[in-house]
Amino acid sequence: MLVKDPKKEFYDKIQHQRVLILVTFDVDALCACNILQYLFQCDQVLYTVVPVTGKQDLENSFLENSEGIKHILMLNCGATIDIIELLQPDDDVCFYICDSHRPVDVHNVYNGVQVKLLMKDEEMRDIPDYDDVFRDDEDDESDAESNDEGEQLSKRKRYSDEYILKRRERRQWEENRNKTLFEYTQFSSFGSSAALLMFEIAWRMSKDTNDLVWLGIIGVTDQLVHYRISREKYIEDVMTLQSHVSRHNFKEGPENNQPINSLKISFEDELQLTLYRHWSLFESICKSVTTACKFKVWSMKGRKRLHEFLAEMGLPLIQCQQKYSAMEPSLRNNVKELIQKHIEKYGFAPEDIVIPSFNAQYGYRNKLCASDVVLACCALLESPQEKSQNATDSFFQAMDILNRKNTKEMEEALNMAKKQIGALASQVQTFLDMQQVMSAGPFLYAFVQEGTLEAKCLSKPQCLQRLARFTLEAYSAERRSKKTQYLPLVLGVPLDAEQQTSLVIGIPPLNLDDERKNFFGKAFEQAAVTTNSRTLHNYFDNYILQMNTEDRGKFFDALINLLQVSLSLSLSLSLSLSAFICASP
Amino acid sequence: MLASKAFELIKELSRGNSGSLSPYNEDCIRQVLDEMKSLYEQNQKDVSDTVAGETGLFSGVQVRHAALERNKRCLLTYLYKRLQIIQEMRWEFGSVLPMDIRYNMCEQEISWFNRYNKMLAVYMRSIGDSGLDLTQDMQPPKSLYIEVRCLKDHGEFETQDGNIIVLKRNNQHFLLRSECEHLIRQGVLEHVTN
Repeated sequence: MLVKDPKKEFYDKIQHQRVLILVTFDVDALCACNILQYLFQCDQVLYTVVPVTGKQDLENSFLENSEGIKHILMLNCGATIDIIELLQPDDDVCFYICDSHRPVDVHNVYNGVQVKLLMKDEEMRDIPDYDDVFRDDEDDESDAESNDEGEQLSKRKRYSDEYILKRRERRQWEENRNKTLFEYTQFSSFGSSAALLMFEIAWRMSKDTNDLVWLGIIGVTDQLVHYRISREKYIEDVMTLQSHVSRHNFKEGPENNQPINSLKISFEDELQLTLYRHWSLFESICKSVTTACKFKVWSMKGRKRLHEFLAEMGLPLIQCQQKYSAMEPSLRNNVKELIQKHIEKYGFAPEDIVIPSFNAQYGYRNKLCASDVVLACCALLESPQEKSQNATDSFFQAMDILNRKNTKEMEEALNMAKKQIGALASQVQTFLDMQQVMSAGPFLYAFVQEGTLEAKCLSKPQCLQRLARFTLEAYSAERRSKKTQYLPLVLGVPLDAEQQTSLVIGIPPLNLDDERKNFFGKAFEQAAVTTNSRTLHNYFDNYILQMNTEDRGKFFDALINLLQVSLSLSLSLSLSLSAFICASP
Repeated sequence: MLASKAFELIKELSRGNSGSLSPYNEDCIRQVLDEMKSLYEQNQKDVSDTVAGETGLFSGVQVRHAALERNKRCLLTYLYKRLQIIQEMRWEFGSVLPMDIRYNMCEQEISWFNRYNKMLAVYMRSIGDSGLDLTQDMQPPKSLYIEVRCLKDHGEFETQDGNIIVLKRNNQHFLLRSECEHLIRQGVLEHVTN
């Protein structure tokens, strides 16, 4: 059931109760959790935070920790699965789900007692009607079945007309139901960020602080960085946040009156260059997705063009290859204007290079941009582990750096993020140099070679998402032909050499960028079922799965078949693929 | 030199760093006592000689007496200071002292410690209706609840209100400060400070 008034229906209910918070491994959930912890500490609500990596982990954590707990809050997990069916809780246990994953399972939507959804009302419009999916005349069915047994033949004759009518109506309804459900679940997409929702709850209760706004900003930025929401949705959310930011950061009197050790957030247009404040400008341009793809920095010609661009702006190469913070101030202060002015000549639209974003400054240290924090936090969250370490160790390390006082840890995390992005960029370069991106007809695919150094740090869901997107953009920039715009990409990376498993992700084609809808979840599921592949759909993002490397061949054959069939019949996947038909002769 | 041994005891005290108890220096104390005994005997002898009619011994008696007084003062200081350290330790470590500290105490000190324990317990029980543990919060706590993170798999833990919490590595809980304080000391939990 959708919660209309979060304060009354959610927050007041859990006062003076123990709450179990299940948090998934992404930055948005982490921020939401941080906001909640602050609220709960204000009101002395006792809680337990348990990080969960996937569906199996969710089940285990629930079993372990649920004793005596009546209220369970799920952050960025659980909405897409029938939670009551999976966990089999007692009747008086109540689940509150704050999840940006869509579509929400219909059982969760229509369970009025045990499942409460903390989501935005306007995002829940396309849910099928109750009558279309559920039927209350279950006893009819059992009647029908007992009739089917054939014992009461005479009775059956007598009611045959009525009976047949009923059955036909039922069959129609079932057909309709399957169709509606299929249409509803075929695309996975994302709604509003969990952190933003949590922040708005805090705000409604007048408990919001500047730190909480910052966490909300990071949550929304995380969604943009990992291609979960479109640019329009992002800007819409940013505008909401901007009013909060100006409310909190406006002080009367001269500016130097503010104490230096308070958090200052400012709203400005930000260059979409990865971590450039903490890197050198040159490195950053080479490793950001848009600039790298437009300049094609992996080729000689592309490098030349990049040098030409820098020369045109009047930035000496030595300065660009220096740490950004060590650049000459007169140049550094003008970098943004210079880039904006000169980049249009190189085929960029203005919105390719700048995006409205927020900066935070705390003390005398470097400014932090929201996307910097997201990348640092994500790098820490998905850092490759030693054998002795648990995945959950990194979860709390990542949570710690969200606290603004841990500047030293933050810097280490930024260095890790740089390493991760470096690995990502060099992997893309390898793909292109070795021509490892292949076309399988209805989609493109690529595999990271086993045993490479990068494979280890790339085999994490969030990082894989960024790698897939980078690869697809780079490939289509390289190819030039329009066709690549209409092709989705499937990308695999070896996960565990001993167990022969790999992680596979599917992302939608570039021309459908505005919708950010992914149809691979359903397709993967079907392909796995038809080929009997040993796959594990453990992640909450259903377009990422683990599979046994040996089954790769048959799985892909099935996937090609599936996508081609749906192509020729132009069935429900048509939305994405009909565009492809038009493009291909 | 007179009273030099006693002075050594004092120096030993001041050398010891705070928070630790040096071994009870029985040997040195016995030497001081021996010295005092001989001084006293000599004084007795001189006094009885004076009574018998001899003169010119008073200055000697006075010097010895001063030495006796000094020895006494040093000994008492030594013992008293040690008791003070033991008393502090009672508030820090609780009623059971670690073995290595106990080992450095003499018999009388141990019996004093036990009696002090008993007195404190009786007093703490007499406060309020059901008693109050004065050693719990040496400084006024800032909040009733604190945020803790589990460092190892500890298993189930029952809180005062009867709830059972599973303490598993890398879970974070918000608990009553008084309940988890001893778990923090044991190294099972870690206090998360913001």
